[in-house]
Amino acid sequence: MSATLRPYLSAVRHTLSAAMCLQNFNSQVVERHNKPEVEVRSSKELLMTAVVVSRNEKEKVLIEPSINSIRISISIKQADDIERILCHKFMRFMMMRAENFIILRRKPVEGYDISFLITNFHTEQMFKHKLVDFVIHFMEEIDKEISEMKLAVNARARECAMEYLKRF
Amino acid sequence: MTEVFQFGLVPITCHAWNKDRSRVALSLNNNEVNIYERAGSEWRLQETLQGHDLRVTGIDWAPNTNRIVTCGADRNAYVWTCGVDGKWSPTLVLLRINRAATCVKWSPNENKFAVGSGARLISVCYFEQENNWWVSKHIKKPIRSTITTLDWHPNNILLAAGAADFKVRIFSAWIKDIEPKPTPTPWGAKMPLGQMMTEFSNSTGGGGWVHSVSFSGDGNRVCWVGHDSSLTVADAGKEMAKTQLKTEYLPFTAVTWVSLNSLVAVGHGCCPML
Repeated sequence: MSATLRPYLSAVRHTLSAAMCLQNFNSQVVERHNKPEVEVRSSKELLMTAVVVSRNEKEKVLIEPSINSIRISISIKQADDIERILCHKFMRFMMMRAENFIILRRKPVEGYDISFLITNFHTEQMFKHKLVDFVIHFMEEIDKEISEMKLAVNARARECAMEYLKRF
Repeated sequence: MTEVFQFGLVPITCHAWNKDRSRVALSLNNNEVNIYERAGSEWRLQETLQGHDLRVTGIDWAPNTNRIVTCGADRNAYVWTCGVDGKWSPTLVLLRINRAATCVKWSPNENKFAVGSGARLISVCYFEQENNWWVSKHIKKPIRSTITTLDWHPNNILLAAGAADFKVRIFSAWIKDIEPKPTPTPWGAKMPLGQMMTEFSNSTGGGGWVHSVSFSGDGNRVCWVGHDSSLTVADAGKEMAKTQLKTEYLPFTAVTWVSLNSLVAVGHGCCPML
């Protein structure tokens, strides 16, 4: 299982390092504005081709670069209903606090579970290689967290059921 | 002999040296320009030029006439001249663009300068004596996207422009009012203002935004670097032949000629390459 994890993360890491070469770009559509071109999508020549790196059909990463911003959307492995619910609630929890994460997007892109938006202003304040490290670390940790939460839910359910059924 | 000097924790957006490299003008990612003077082994802040409302995107210092031209995201450009008391004062420039200015360069004879902008045009500006300001002539066709970089040919007439539509174009920027008719060059003979002499595409498919363009010392060759991590040299003497070098490094953002046959390129890989 983890035989595919290392090459998957390494491919994502290399794609991100190449895509994160951002520069300041003032809007050429509206004067005096400076907007992330990947969100506005007003001029085709400023957007780069989107890349999907997938480990299998369920787990993939969509990377959409542009001249001054990059959008990274992650689709997390959800094998059964419990994992689906846990994942949904966990992602919602983080996205509601997106301001504290700085690079997190409040709504995920269609078809994915969570999205990051990194602009040239972020790369000017933070190290690029550290941003890439953060995203890769996030992807590794998410799966572990969700598995842990699932075990905790199952353990609690078992405890509750045992206590309740002791009466009978 | 390299020295490292830290001007603060903010990125330096653009900079320009004066003639003998004793002073440097730079902008720390805001709307002001700081002029530093060398004092021993340190750089001391000499003056701050305030005039722009938004970020300063380009600075160029004319070595002989000692003028600084700055352009910003607020669609303005100013020419700063040093008065006898050492203070810099701005002169208005009428760019007539309706988007941000991206880059600015003095011409080799320093009687005009060119400003590239997001309005998909280049403004070539020269001084008008009667009204004491700088007026501009536009080069529009056939530019289709933001101009990202400019460089002048040593003959003061030709201008190379790189744009976000993956193309490098050589234009004639001859201003009839201020200079005599130019002599023919390997790039072409007829040179009215705004005439495109040649256009180079970064590659057949598209190729990536052009980050920096540079004429060689004799003006016969032009090189550029694009976002697809490639470096290309075009030679006018050999009928516009193009040689392209694709590298596996991260894209370069600037390139200059150091001699007739060698270039230095620097970029996102944080390391200069010769």
